[in-house]
Amino acid sequence: MNAYTKSHVLLSAENIHLQYGEKVILRDINFQIRNVHREGVHQGQVVALIGRSGLGKTQLFKVLSGLVPPTQGTVRIGADQHPVKAGQVGIVPQNYILFQHRTVYQNLRIGLDHSGVALSEAEKKRIIEDYANTFELIDHLKKYPAQLSGGQRQRVSIIQQVLTGNRFILLDEPFSGLDILMIDKVIELLLKVSTLHEDNTLIVVSHDIENAAAVSDTVWLMGTEEGKVGATIRKEYDLCEMGLAWKPDIRTDPKFVGLIDEIRKGL
Amino acid sequence: MNKIKSIFEPLRTINPRTMLLLIVAEAAVALIAWQLSGGGLIPTPDKVVGAIGRIFTMPDFIDNLFASLTLTVKGMVISILIALVISYLSIVPFFQPIARFIVKCRYLTLTGLIFLFTLLTQNGHQLKISLLIFGIVPFFVTSLLSVIEGINKQEYELCTTLRMNSWKTLWEVIIIGRLDQVFEVMRQNFAIAWLMITSVEGLSMSEGGLGVMLIKANKYVQLDVVFGLLVIIFILGMAFDYILGQFRHWLFPYTKLQTR
Repeated sequence: MNAYTKSHVLLSAENIHLQYGEKVILRDINFQIRNVHREGVHQGQVVALIGRSGLGKTQLFKVLSGLVPPTQGTVRIGADQHPVKAGQVGIVPQNYILFQHRTVYQNLRIGLDHSGVALSEAEKKRIIEDYANTFELIDHLKKYPAQLSGGQRQRVSIIQQVLTGNRFILLDEPFSGLDILMIDKVIELLLKVSTLHEDNTLIVVSHDIENAAAVSDTVWLMGTEEGKVGATIRKEYDLCEMGLAWKPDIRTDPKFVGLIDEIRKGL
Repeated sequence: MNKIKSIFEPLRTINPRTMLLLIVAEAAVALIAWQLSGGGLIPTPDKVVGAIGRIFTMPDFIDNLFASLTLTVKGMVISILIALVISYLSIVPFFQPIARFIVKCRYLTLTGLIFLFTLLTQNGHQLKISLLIFGIVPFFVTSLLSVIEGINKQEYELCTTLRMNSWKTLWEVIIIGRLDQVFEVMRQNFAIAWLMITSVEGLSMSEGGLGVMLIKANKYVQLDVVFGLLVIIFILGMAFDYILGQFRHWLFPYTKLQTR
């Protein structure tokens, strides 16, 4: 059984509007991500943001992470719902930007160094090795990012953000350019990260509707509306409520297949 | 036949051994053509080789070589330090106009400024160093600014998401993160310094240098010695280029790696 409850709001957007000069990019973006609880699991939240190319998904990312201030509206995070500040939300870009001049270990250590928690060198080493073990990176700690495969860089990038202490992580196209086996690994990775802590919240931007929905508990459909300029979240699907969240074999569920079809048509 | 065809094909990648053979063959052809066409005023390769032998036995050659190398290295080190400070400060808006002006100084000719520099400096050595620095810094700053401008904006965003302040970002992304490229800039601009050294040495000949040897040999129309010195300067330049390249790979091993 997938019994669950939802409590306080962790991340919310209120009337977000983004405009560059005369060009309206985003308008009327409103949402709330609530803390999900499941018995016996540190259940985090995973939201899929689906939309066509060029709609402003990356701009929405930047607004949510505090990197770009919206023209109007407020993004609030945490249990106290304070306005978001840059550095409180992590971003894993599509090209997995890492410090090329630092080894994997050093890249991860930078995350830990800025976590705001005072740790000894030995403690930092233990934590990094622990994560590296969990995410199959232990043999690559001494390598430079240029020596890693795309999947490995992606993992380092995600863990770097996790080690910084960011509970909110935005992932841009995490399934892009990966083969089917790698996609399964990424899904496994996202599920692992989302269940590391109750408050962990992942927002996944993807064109891959099926995989993004399979890993999520909520799907936002982003698009434009007739007669209105700028993109907005047109529809929200609560997969927990629909009984389609946290199921390993969800892809074969006819209800899920129907949902994917509906989302595709709605794009 | 296919191998020969491949070396004339655009965008064709050839193996290092074939490339080496190609270089040796083309150099040999050039030398033979030079040998066969020479004989008048222009000395032939065998005469140049003979002159190089004589240059090495000249009593003041080592001193002159050392004087040129010392001046170049000193000029390069001071120039790169000045250029680095200007380039790093250029990301602070207040200093941007200064950096932009220095970049434009590439178009100023040194010849017109010799008198001014002579007034401002106390001796020949200072004059040479000052001119060398003034000549190199704008090129260094131009290259360093293009390195900074080429940094992916996402690297700065990564620093922000990792909660680094702007000074830490400057340190991690621009200073430490691009130190390898500073070496590359040095390597590329060393040629300019080496090119200028022989010119500025002529302004104060008391300290000697390869430039002084060149001027004297030109004055007495010892063209074989001139060509011999040019070959030595050329080989030294290539050696420095190679050493700086190797030094870069040794200090920054990640520069040898290709992103998969």
